[in-house]
Formats: sequence, structure tokens, C-alpha cells
Amino acid sequence: MAREERSERGSYKKFFPPKKKFCRFCQRNVKFIDHKNADILKKYIPDRGKISPRRITGTCAFHQRKLAEAIKRARLLALLPYVED
Amino acid sequence: MRLYETGFLISPNVTEEEADILIQQMADIITQKNGKMAKLEKWGKRRLAYQIDKFGEAYYVFFHYDGGPDIPLELGRRFRQMDTILRYLTLVKETQPNVRKKKKAADRRRAKEAAGGETADAAGPAESGAPEPRKREEA
Repeated sequence: MAREERSERGSYKKFFPPKKKFCRFCQRNVKFIDHKNADILKKYIPDRGKISPRRITGTCAFHQRKLAEAIKRARLLALLPYVED
Repeated sequence: MRLYETGFLISPNVTEEEADILIQQMADIITQKNGKMAKLEKWGKRRLAYQIDKFGEAYYVFFHYDGGPDIPLELGRRFRQMDTILRYLTLVKETQPNVRKKKKAADRRRAKEAAGGETADAAGPAESGAPEPRKREEA
């Protein structure tokens, strides 16, 4: 029974596969994320101004680290908000 | 000698000319200390993402310069003394080549070598293993 259920779930996934996420920075071969470029960073801080996690944006570990650092620096210079409501 | 980047915010209650004089003074410090100004960015007045000292906007200035470690120290000391500077941030720019890319390239090379060795090994058992279950079905 358990196996059938699992296979059903698998088939469901086959018909509606989740959209494959990928790292936008790797795609463009970015080596350095600039904290002054607030327009790009803004895409990674939705609504509340929190940094969106990797599992949602699909950013790779390397670029997520650089991105988080850049966002925090931009916040210090008031280019990005710490909190938004 | 190192590449530095210093960004600072000048409060909006000074006029544009006064701000220009202030920027010039700070730029002079760099040249006095045998530094080399690589790039001077003036963004002008810009809205802040949040209020700083009850100001809603500020002049944004960025210095990119090459020099010794005494320059950012001196700039920081001056900035802290002045009330007209709301914020400043100094970074040491990375001039090292990207380590990750090197590692990735090495990994790829290693993977290629491993794959080249494995395919030769894997081909043997896979071929001999495939016909066996068929025989069982026939029996």
C-alpha cells in the first residue's frame, strides 16, 4: 500500500513538476555582488525586508553568502531597509 | 598598498557647494597620504531607506582609492568628529582571484578522470549482468 501511495505521489509530480530553480548569479557568471547596487538586492528582500532563504530563491551557497553580506552593508548605508511594514 | 572603498552620507542640511568643499577636503587627505584616487562617485541627494537623525535624505559619496592603511583610519577619525557625516563604511576590496572557480575547475578535472576510469570498469559487469535475469525469466 505504502509503495502505491508513493508511486501516486511520484506520478503527480510527473504531471506537475515544480519549476526548476537556479542561481541567477551563476547564470550571469557574477563574481562579486556590489552592495551599492540596491536594485538587484531589492529582489531578494520581499515585503518585510528580510533576506529570502536559498530554498525559495534557488541561489547557490556561494552567492547566497555574498548576497547576505551585500544586503547587510547596503542596510548600514540606508540603501535598503532593516524592517519594512 | 591596498584597494579601499569608502562610502559616506552627508546630511542634507548643508548646501551642495558646502558638500562639494567637504568632499574635496576628504579627497585631499588621500593624496596627502600618498594614496591614489581611483574613482570618485557622487550620487547626489538620495532618499534614505529609513530615517537617520531624523533626516529623510542624504548626499551619497563613494571613494575608491589605493593606499596604505593609515588613510581609512584618518578618514574614519575625521568622519566621527563631523556632525554632518551621518554614516560611513570602509571596505578592503578583494584583489585575489576567485578561489571557488579554481576549486570547481579542479573538481571537474578530477571528475573527468574518475569518469574515464569508471566507465571502463563499469562497462564489464553491466554487460555481463544484463543477460542473467533474462535467462532466469526463460527458465
